[in-house]
Amino acid sequence: MADRAVVDTGLEMVRPAPPVTGGAWTIVVRFARKKPLGAIGGVLLLVTLVAAIFAEPLATHDPIATDAFHTLARPGADHWLGSDHLGRDIYSRIVHGSRVSLIVGVVSTLLGSVLGGMIGLLSAYFGGKTDLITQRFLDILQGLPLLVLALVMSAALGPAVHNVIIAISIPIIPRAARVIRASVLSIREMQYIEAARALGVRHLRTAFRHILPNTMGPFIVLATAQLGSAILVEATLSFLGLGVPEPYPSWGRMLSVSASEYAQKAPWLVLFPGIAISLAVFASNLLGDALRDTLDPRLRGA
Amino acid sequence: MRVRLPVALLCVAVAAVAAGPALGQAQKGADSDKAMKSVPAKPAAAKATAGSVNAPSAAPHPNGKKGGVLLAMHREDLAQGFSIHETATIATVWPGMPCFNNLVMFDPFKQVESLDSVVPELAERWSWQDNYRNLVLFLRKGVKWHDGTPFTAKDVKYTFDMVRQAPDAQTRLRINPRKDWYANVESIEAADPHTVIFHLKRPQPSLLMMLASGYSPVYPAHVPVNDFRGKCVGTGPYKLKEWKKGEYIEFARNPDYWVPGRPYLDGIRYLIIKERGTRFAALQAGRLDISFPGEATKPIADQLKSSGAKLNFTLIGTNVNDNLIMNIKKPPFDNVKVRRAISLAVDRRAYAKAVHQGGAVAGASMQPKPYGFWGLLEKDLGRLPGYGKPEDNKAQARKILAEAGYGPGKPLQVEMGTRAIALYVDFASFVINELKQVGVEATLKQVETAQWHPLVTRREYQMGANLTGLGIDDPDGNFYENYACGSPRNYTDYCDEQVMKMIETQSQELDLKKRRPLVAQIQNKLEEDAARPIMGWRTDYFPMAPHVKNLVPHHNIYNYGRMQEVWLDK
Repeated sequence: MADRAVVDTGLEMVRPAPPVTGGAWTIVVRFARKKPLGAIGGVLLLVTLVAAIFAEPLATHDPIATDAFHTLARPGADHWLGSDHLGRDIYSRIVHGSRVSLIVGVVSTLLGSVLGGMIGLLSAYFGGKTDLITQRFLDILQGLPLLVLALVMSAALGPAVHNVIIAISIPIIPRAARVIRASVLSIREMQYIEAARALGVRHLRTAFRHILPNTMGPFIVLATAQLGSAILVEATLSFLGLGVPEPYPSWGRMLSVSASEYAQKAPWLVLFPGIAISLAVFASNLLGDALRDTLDPRLRGA
Repeated sequence: MRVRLPVALLCVAVAAVAAGPALGQAQKGADSDKAMKSVPAKPAAAKATAGSVNAPSAAPHPNGKKGGVLLAMHREDLAQGFSIHETATIATVWPGMPCFNNLVMFDPFKQVESLDSVVPELAERWSWQDNYRNLVLFLRKGVKWHDGTPFTAKDVKYTFDMVRQAPDAQTRLRINPRKDWYANVESIEAADPHTVIFHLKRPQPSLLMMLASGYSPVYPAHVPVNDFRGKCVGTGPYKLKEWKKGEYIEFARNPDYWVPGRPYLDGIRYLIIKERGTRFAALQAGRLDISFPGEATKPIADQLKSSGAKLNFTLIGTNVNDNLIMNIKKPPFDNVKVRRAISLAVDRRAYAKAVHQGGAVAGASMQPKPYGFWGLLEKDLGRLPGYGKPEDNKAQARKILAEAGYGPGKPLQVEMGTRAIALYVDFASFVINELKQVGVEATLKQVETAQWHPLVTRREYQMGANLTGLGIDDPDGNFYENYACGSPRNYTDYCDEQVMKMIETQSQELDLKKRRPLVAQIQNKLEEDAARPIMGWRTDYFPMAPHVKNLVPHHNIYNYGRMQEVWLDK
C-alpha cells in the first residue's frame, strides 16, 4: 500500500471517491434519497434484468410461436399486449427481447469500455510516441459516428448476437479510451505515483494497481452512459435487419418494416416495443447521470 | 388453345387467317401468300396449322381523351437500365415496357392470360405450320424505331438469336435469365424484311406465350445491347425523355407510333420511392395515379381503403409464388422422405392467413384458379402434402422423420436462408415455427438481396425461403425454368427422369384437353417429391386513381405495362 504511505505523510492528493461507510443496502438507500431519478433508473434497469433472467417463467407464450387464427389480436386476456401479424404474443416477445437487449447492451458496453479503458490507461501512462500513435488511431475510430461504424461492422460480419456485440463495442473503445486517458494523465502526475516510482514499483504494477482503481469513478459513469447508447444501437441495427436474426425477438426488430406496415391497424405492434426501448435507454441515462453526480468530485453536492 | 383448328388439317399454305387488328388499329396485310412462299415447301401431306389470330377485346373505356401525364409508382432504381432481356425483375420490366413492343402480346384488356388472349403487336398475324414445328410471323410494315430506323425481320432475328444464344448470334447478353425459354428453337429465319420464321426442334405451342410476355420485347439490331443499360430505343408508344437515377424515369409520347391515335397520354413519369409506406402515402395523397404491380398487399389495401382515399382496387393474382427450396444435392434433403416431411409440416392455409393476412391463395406449382389457367382444383390440392388437416400432416411428418432417423434425441437441424426483406423474413419465421412443431430445429440466415440469387445459383444453401415470379402462366415457362434437370434457375437441383419426360410430353401436346391432365400430373408429382414445395400464391390489390382508364391489371405482374391504351379522365 505504497499510496497509503504517501497519503499518511500529509502530502496533498485528490481522492476520487467519497469515503464509503455502512453496508450495501445503506449505500443504496442513501443514493436513492439523494438521487431519486437515478434510483428510478436503477429500478427500471433491475426490472429489465429480472425479465431477462426469468424470461421463460415470465412469458405467457412461446415468443416465436405463430398463430394464424389470432393475428393482430388486440391487447386482452389471451395476449396481454396483443399479438403481431403472425399471431406471436407481443408481451412474451418483449420479455424475451429484454434478454437480447440487455445481453448485447451490457456485454458490448463492458467489452468496449474495458478495452478502451486499457488502451487509454497505457497510452496515457507511457505517453510519448505510444500515446501519439494510439491517439491518432483512436482519432480515426472516433471520426466515425457510433451508428455508422456499428452498421458497417454488422453488415460485414453478418447478423448474429456475437457480431452485434462486436459491432457495438468497437465504437465504444475510443470514447472509453479518451475518458480514461484524461483521468490517467492527471493521476500519473500525482505525488503518490511519483513516490511509487521512486520506490521502484514496476510500470505495469503502477498503472494497474495505483492508477486504475482511481479511474473507476469515470469508468462507471462512462459504462452506464454507454449502456443506453448500446441498447439503442442494438435496436437500430435490429430495426435495419442487421441485428439479432429472426425469429428470435429483439425490441428493434419488433419495430421493423412489417410492424410499421400494420401500425395503423394494430398500433400495439410498435407502441409496446417502442416503450420498452425508451424506458431502458431512459433508465440507463438517469442512472448514469446520477452516478456521475455522485462519483465526480467536481459535481458532488452540486 | 381451346379454339385451335384440328392439328390434322392438311394444307400447304395458311389460309383464311383472321387478320387481327392490332390493338384497335390493325393494318390488314395482304402478303400472307407471298410470305408463305418463303417457307420451305412441304410435302402435300405435311401438316400445317393455321393460327387463328385473336383480336384484342374491346376496351372498357373506348373513347379515350388525349393528354396528361400518368404518375406511376416505382419502388427502386433500374439495376439493368431498360435491358429487359437481361433482367429477372418487375422493377425493370414495368418501366421498360412502354418503350418497346413485342411480336405478340397478351390482350391488355383481359386479366387471365392464355393462348387465347395472345394478340398481335409487331407481328400483325402468325401461322403455325408443320404441326407446330414452324411459327411464321408476318411483321407490320411502316414501323420505325425511336431513332427513325425502320423495323424489319432482321431485328427480330437479332433479338431472339441473342436471347437463345445461337452460335451465330451477333451479340451476347451479359445476363441471360430466359435462355431456357427458347431451348426448343432450332433456328430463326428472316425470310423477307417482314416475315420471320421460328423453326422448332419439336412442336411447342407455348412458344407464343413466351413471345407475348413483357419479358420478350424486340430490340433494334443497330443499337448495341449495352446501350440499353442507360437509354432506350424501341418501337413502343413512349420515348424515353429522362432517367434521373434514384428519382424518376420519364417517358414522352412517341409521335410516330405505328398505331394511329395512340398512345393517349402525353407521357408517363415513374417516381422512384424506395420506402413502401412512403410510396403508398403518396398514392393515398394523390401524388401518384397508379400502384406498382405486386406491391399492394392486403394489409396495405385495407389501410388505403380505411383512409378514405379515392382509389379503385382490383384483386389480381401476381403469378408469384412463395416456395421452400431445399438443396437436394446435400444431406439431409437428398432423402425425398425428409423433404416430404418438411412439406407436410407447413400448413399452407395458415401460411396464407398469417404471412399474407389472407392476401395469398394455396396452390401447387401453377397459379391456382381463378387467377391462373393451369392450377390444380381445390379437391386435388387437398390430397397434397401440407394441404390437408394440419394435425394429421404434422403427425405424419414426425413419423417420416423418425423413420429417417430424426427425433427428440436427435433433432434435424437445418439452416434456412432468406433475403433480408420483411416479407421474406416473415415467411421464414412462420416456416421455422411450423418445423419446430415436428421437431426440426431451423435457424434463420438473412442474406442481402444482392447476394441471394448468386448464393442459391451456386447452391450454397441448405434450405431457403424463396419467391418465384413466372413471366407467363404456362407450364413450359415454369417447368423448364424451375424444375428441369440442369436449369440454372432450378435452385434445388431436383432432377427426375420421369418428370422430364412428362414435361416434354405436355409441351408437345396440342390438344388442350389432353395437356391439362398431364400438367396436373406433373404438379402432383412435384409436390409429392417436395421438389420445391409451394407455400402460396400472392395476390395484389393494385390500387389506382379513378381517373385512370383502360389500365386492366392482369393476373401476372409482368405483362400489362405497355400503357398504350391508358388515358386519364381529368
